[in-house]
Amino acid sequence: MEESDRDLIGRLARGDREALGPLMERHYRRLYRLSLSYLRDPDEALDAVQEIFVKAFQNAARWDGGAEVGPWLTRIAVNHSIDRYRRGRRRLAAETPLDEEAGDRDARLTTGDPSPERRVLGREVGERIASALRSLPERQRAVFVLRHYDELALEDIARVLDMSLGTVKSSLHRAVHRMRERLEGLR
Amino acid sequence: MRPWRHRGWRRRTGLLALGVLEGRAADEARAHVDGCARCAEERAGLRQALELAALDPVRTAEPPLGMPALLARVNARLDAAAAARSPLAWRPAWLLPAGALAASLAVLLLLRLPHPPSTTRSTPAVVAPAQVAVPEDVLGRMERTVTRAQTARYLDEAQDLLLTVAAPRPCARQSRRVDMEQEAERSRELLARRALLVGTSGQDVASARPVLRDVEYVLREVASLPSCARERDLQAIQREVSRRNLLMKIDLMTRELKG
Repeated sequence: MEESDRDLIGRLARGDREALGPLMERHYRRLYRLSLSYLRDPDEALDAVQEIFVKAFQNAARWDGGAEVGPWLTRIAVNHSIDRYRRGRRRLAAETPLDEEAGDRDARLTTGDPSPERRVLGREVGERIASALRSLPERQRAVFVLRHYDELALEDIARVLDMSLGTVKSSLHRAVHRMRERLEGLR
Repeated sequence: MRPWRHRGWRRRTGLLALGVLEGRAADEARAHVDGCARCAEERAGLRQALELAALDPVRTAEPPLGMPALLARVNARLDAAAAARSPLAWRPAWLLPAGALAASLAVLLLLRLPHPPSTTRSTPAVVAPAQVAVPEDVLGRMERTVTRAQTARYLDEAQDLLLTVAAPRPCARQSRRVDMEQEAERSRELLARRALLVGTSGQDVASARPVLRDVEYVLREVASLPSCARERDLQAIQREVSRRNLLMKIDLMTRELKG
């Protein structure tokens, strides 16, 4: 019988690294996309996923046995992505014109589509969305990403981000309006 | 309708477009939007924005690395983190095998050095080494093996260092800085060893030269860091390692060198 996520975290807490494989297998794609949607850089996102599982292993002993594993990993991912994003912004502000480097990163997100037209559209959409996301304040950005990319219920978003449901709703509302403003004219 | 009341509906219209309203709240919002042209326009605009956002390629992006490789990297980071916490973390683990390699090299050199003409022929024990007949091709193979083993070990240790660099400790003396003292020192040691690697300009490790160049470049960057380094400087190095796919290249090259 397949082990549950809780069993796997229990094994990690006892220092059993063999449990990492099945846990990663179940969650790494989702966490990669979540990190990527936040960081918009495949290399950074890949690095973030590795760090998320390192942290999961290191903190497994402190995991609250009553909590769900998925949201717990999501919380690690979001906190890690926010932290990386902040550091990245500071670095970019100091080193590179934002749009130049961001454009380069966004261009790398749109590979794999066989149709040139769709690739161009995908690239344009990706760049505009990245730019729109960058314009959001941190909390709105996190709420939007969790809702739109991870498709979490509002209650789960509230738990992951340690916010009230009302705050999640108002943040999401503001985020969507801002996204709309920034994406206007794309079609 | 008074503006403040409409603002309340505006929020609900947004949530309706997002599909997060349920039951009575959703019914009420729908009923309002149906009778309010401004709200209907708002909902249509928001839906369009969300449809556009749904086209974001990130939603279906695949990690550029497969699970086995990713798992190996996570395990390597955990090893590095454990080693960094260990009081023996910075013991020169390479000393013993490097010593063995140095001894092998010394034997090889002794065997290859032209011996001075013997002035006396009365002591066979003295002339014995000169009489050891090691075929040239055997010597060549031994040298090749030693060079490749040394290079592989050097790359292995450089990889360990780069993994440690990926999980820095905060600097105790300065906030928002990371402690790079040991890593910088270790990089200098590795660079010194790199300079002593013999035979890397020959054909024996020709395929490793690009990786060696990359590793050397990154080690120089790490070696130049102050003991309490700025996070962004370290991140620039980490990005460089990532951009060059250095850890993966080292892995592949080390395996190739070890045969």
